[in-house]
Amino acid sequence: MEHLLTAAFLGSLLLGAVTAGVPLLLAGLGEQISEKAGVLNIGLEGMMLFGAYFGFAVAYQSGSFALGFLAGGAAGAVAALVMVLLCVRLGMNQIVVGIAITLAGEGLTALLHYFTFARSYPRLDKIGTLAVPGLSGLPVVGDALFNRSLLVYLAVLLPFALIWVFRRTQFGLNLQAAGDKPAALDAAGVSVMGTRAAAVLLTGFLGGLGGAYLSTVGGGLFLPFMTGGAGFISIVLAMLARGKPLWVLFGAFLFGASLSLTTAMQVAGIDVPTDVIQMLPFAMVILVLVVFGRHSYLPPALGLPYHRGER
Amino acid sequence: MGAARARWGVAAAALAVMAGAAMAGSFALGAQAAEVKSIAVLTPEQGTDYGWNQQGVDAAKAVAEKYGLKFMPAEGLGYGDVRPTLRELSEEGASLMIAHASGYNTAAPEIAAETKTPVAIVDRPDAMKPGLVADYTLYAHEGAYLAGEMAALMTRTGTVGIVVSGEPPSWNAQSAGFAQGVKATNPKVKIVYAVIGPAAYSDAAGGRRVTESVISAGADVILGQGNGSSFGMIEAVETTKATDGGDVWFIDVIGDKSSIDKGHLLSSVMWNMVPVYSAMVEDLKAGTFGTKRYRIQLADDSVKLLKTKHIPADVWKTVMATRDKIVDGSVKVDLVTDAEGVRKMMSSVAAK
Repeated sequence: MEHLLTAAFLGSLLLGAVTAGVPLLLAGLGEQISEKAGVLNIGLEGMMLFGAYFGFAVAYQSGSFALGFLAGGAAGAVAALVMVLLCVRLGMNQIVVGIAITLAGEGLTALLHYFTFARSYPRLDKIGTLAVPGLSGLPVVGDALFNRSLLVYLAVLLPFALIWVFRRTQFGLNLQAAGDKPAALDAAGVSVMGTRAAAVLLTGFLGGLGGAYLSTVGGGLFLPFMTGGAGFISIVLAMLARGKPLWVLFGAFLFGASLSLTTAMQVAGIDVPTDVIQMLPFAMVILVLVVFGRHSYLPPALGLPYHRGER
Repeated sequence: MGAARARWGVAAAALAVMAGAAMAGSFALGAQAAEVKSIAVLTPEQGTDYGWNQQGVDAAKAVAEKYGLKFMPAEGLGYGDVRPTLRELSEEGASLMIAHASGYNTAAPEIAAETKTPVAIVDRPDAMKPGLVADYTLYAHEGAYLAGEMAALMTRTGTVGIVVSGEPPSWNAQSAGFAQGVKATNPKVKIVYAVIGPAAYSDAAGGRRVTESVISAGADVILGQGNGSSFGMIEAVETTKATDGGDVWFIDVIGDKSSIDKGHLLSSVMWNMVPVYSAMVEDLKAGTFGTKRYRIQLADDSVKLLKTKHIPADVWKTVMATRDKIVDGSVKVDLVTDAEGVRKMMSSVAAK
């Protein structure tokens, strides 16, 4: 096992943890915004798939990862428009519509892939990185954590930005009110639908961005169903984190680190069944968030449509 | 006279018993000769993946043409519930439904019982039912043995890797065959083994992540077994240097990805499922469907190694010589299909 304790191997595990964690972080934070405003966005998986397809397609055609990320985010937001229309505007069941968006995402992106990339399977090169002066040279962790793409740094800063938005801005307070007491927000002259619509669109954008990262950086290519439940894991992260963005950050990277740990355990030859090893990321994240995040808070109006005049 | 009458009586009774047994047998087997007019194949991903899905669809199409059957493909169904699709295909008159994914091996027998349309499934030989359910779990361990020999001959770092997106019996057989080939060729070569996830067949990002780690652990030849996730493994091989600074080789399974290769595809353990599907049609016609196992092997080229321009001539010659020895029986490759048995054969585990 000693021969495995090399900088290259440990670095690759850390890098794997970051790469696996970023899509969950982005999508989980998006879900948290939506939930804060009272909309349970079960369609996140579908939005991620739309983002993954269009993010990859644009990055491949343009040669620009940045454009790919923007396209992925935009595609996720467009998918979220369906939820805005059907759930926020028409008050339809959020779970049913969410499942429909996920199924549509799976089917449509698989179809698009079939007509575009299913015979050529184009693959992207590695994304360019931005070294943090003074830190990127650290042994083992330097390259894995401090020599990453700009989006990784932005994703890590996003929870802090959201904390500020939630606590210090009018929009943040409106989000809170839309999820806690939408009638009070309405009475204060602020549009509940407008607030919830903005939240859902932001969720779609961040979910799509996460999907784009998964396809362009994580895989380097797009495949049908490639999210493999990442959207649902993000929803679980957001719900267990109960309104606290830093818990999403922690949970996402704990999940990524656990995935890397499973690889390390296998490569190192820990003699336990693979199924047990593969279960670790899920068990670990649920355990930690249930134990430490149980005092957090879920909005009372979560999942409930708002109809003006109803109590 | 009495003795002769008794003998006739015994003979008549024996005949009656035999006839009864034959009738009971035919009822028990439930296998009656059937007219085969169409063949349907259901795949989780599109039949354009240069792998499991494509080989399945292409083989079913070839068999349909061979026997003049209507071809009914249902591709890209995902890994969810395929019961509605199976019912639909049955209603449309499918004579045989090939459920081409291990994830379908619970739903397909259920629908077969419900609609009385024969189905073929993988990875569940226990579910075989005469006339109704056949299992075609295929083992290409002989081909994987040759791939292992090739990997042992080609490695510079002395470490080779196996990355799999799941541990179904078919892939376990290949992992074990590969390990046997490596060890028989050079016992000093280390084998690093990693599973992406319990069923990460389309997890390209996971395939890339795990393969990068296996390369960082020293492997410079990777045997990759995955459906879509294989492309993630290939991406890792193309964008990551081995620990000695050189290129990493990739050995694929089931299909031929050389048309999309960027210079890292060393070989592939190729499967030809046409003989298997042909045998299913013949068995349906003969009333023996669901009564026997199907196999692929080096001897009839239903398993063979892909020859690419990257394989040195002397390596290919050595490997082909071993192929002949396997075919004539002078080299035996053990069939290991359980995950625990596979892991015991890996250096990384044995080193504990």
